[in-house]
Amino acid sequence: MKNRIWIIIFSVVAILCLGVWLFISKVSSPSKVVGIYQNGSLVEKIDLNSVTGQREITLSGEYGDNVILVSNGHIEMKSADCPDKICVEHGELKSSASPIVCLPNKVVIKFESSTDGADAKTGAVG
Amino acid sequence: MKLLRKSCILIMTAAVILSSGCSFDSEYNCEFFAMDTVMTISAYGSKSESAVKAAQNEINRLDKLLSVQRENSEIYRLNRLKEMTVSEDTLTLITRSKEIYTLTDGAFDISCEPLIREWGFYSGLENKVPSQQAIENALKGVGAAHINIENSRVKLDENTSLDLGAVAKGYASRKASEILKENGVSSALMSLGGNVRAVGSKPDGESWSVAITNPDDNSKSIGTLKISDKAVVTSGGYQRYFEENGQIYHHIIDTKTGHPADSGLKSVTVVSEDDTLADALSTSLFVMGLEKSKEFYSQNSLLFGAVFITHKGEIFVTDNLNDSFMSKQDFEVISV
Repeated sequence: MKNRIWIIIFSVVAILCLGVWLFISKVSSPSKVVGIYQNGSLVEKIDLNSVTGQREITLSGEYGDNVILVSNGHIEMKSADCPDKICVEHGELKSSASPIVCLPNKVVIKFESSTDGADAKTGAVG
Repeated sequence: MKLLRKSCILIMTAAVILSSGCSFDSEYNCEFFAMDTVMTISAYGSKSESAVKAAQNEINRLDKLLSVQRENSEIYRLNRLKEMTVSEDTLTLITRSKEIYTLTDGAFDISCEPLIREWGFYSGLENKVPSQQAIENALKGVGAAHINIENSRVKLDENTSLDLGAVAKGYASRKASEILKENGVSSALMSLGGNVRAVGSKPDGESWSVAITNPDDNSKSIGTLKISDKAVVTSGGYQRYFEENGQIYHHIIDTKTGHPADSGLKSVTVVSEDDTLADALSTSLFVMGLEKSKEFYSQNSLLFGAVFITHKGEIFVTDNLNDSFMSKQDFEVISV
């Protein structure tokens, strides 16, 4: 009889734990949070889903300015004074495995959590 | 009453476990710029922070040593002096590069510097199609026979200059992964530009998942590789190129012709336990093209595996990666 009570208590606690854990993991991992970094330091963290309207963020580096355009669910490098413009050509940030990178001004814009299930991405570099 | 007390203890224990975020292993991430690219290292375990910092220091040290453009790097000085005693790392890498030159029948060649310079693929230079005369002049110093090694002294012929760009990141990745392991890390993932290196498996024992960039749309991938304790490196002409008179010229130069490799491939991804080899082979196989690469694979299948994407968009995968490669697209398997 005593054992049965214990089994019931254990089961209830286990189910509760699982429920709370699932809730926490769902709430604490928004997929559209991006980090804007310069020289390896975080400049700003933005949840793209909570952005209203449109705004521009300007960062200054060795090769002039980078202008970042942010709107609801969307972020891109609108313009850059750097010589190669690879960051502008990248277009919208779509995948955690393909961050927007401006090498000359050392700017990185990336999703803070994985968006496509991959841990990393391999590709040719510029 | 006793039962209630026990229940309370049980629930409190569960709450403590939950409040720790269910994390049983600490993670440390580091992002930095080195070797003209952005690098990230993610490591797990109690010693991850100090280990990652040591690995980062090692990569920065090698960058200063091996860079072709950084004034006062050993390679920069060697290219100007033509003869000097070099450090153990530089010597190891030049010796290894000569071996890979022989292995790939010259498809991999670190004496490509004069050609890359002519095509203007160094920062500060302007991209241009060189004259045939300029290419022929540059080709005079190209080839492993122009690099002579005696003990720790390297001597280059008059027209010869080196560029270790196609192996330096691979070598740095090997050294950094060794440092992570020496510092007690058994689970880590490094991304040095397009070079990915897995140290062990994920903390939960699963393999790491590495997506291969779609050459036609860099935000997408053409498939995924599952790896543990291996390096994955991709070469392709779709990121660094210029256009002149409607023609595209990319940065991977075939040192046999002096022109950008025109082998029918868009991208080559190499998987190997040897980072330096993976780095060098991704360039070599891109230069060789699919048919020669198939032949090369049949003779060296124990050394590496590869995924090829052709200009037609076809995907070819070596049979030793058949179980680890997944793609929504059809692909053909290359057997030994």
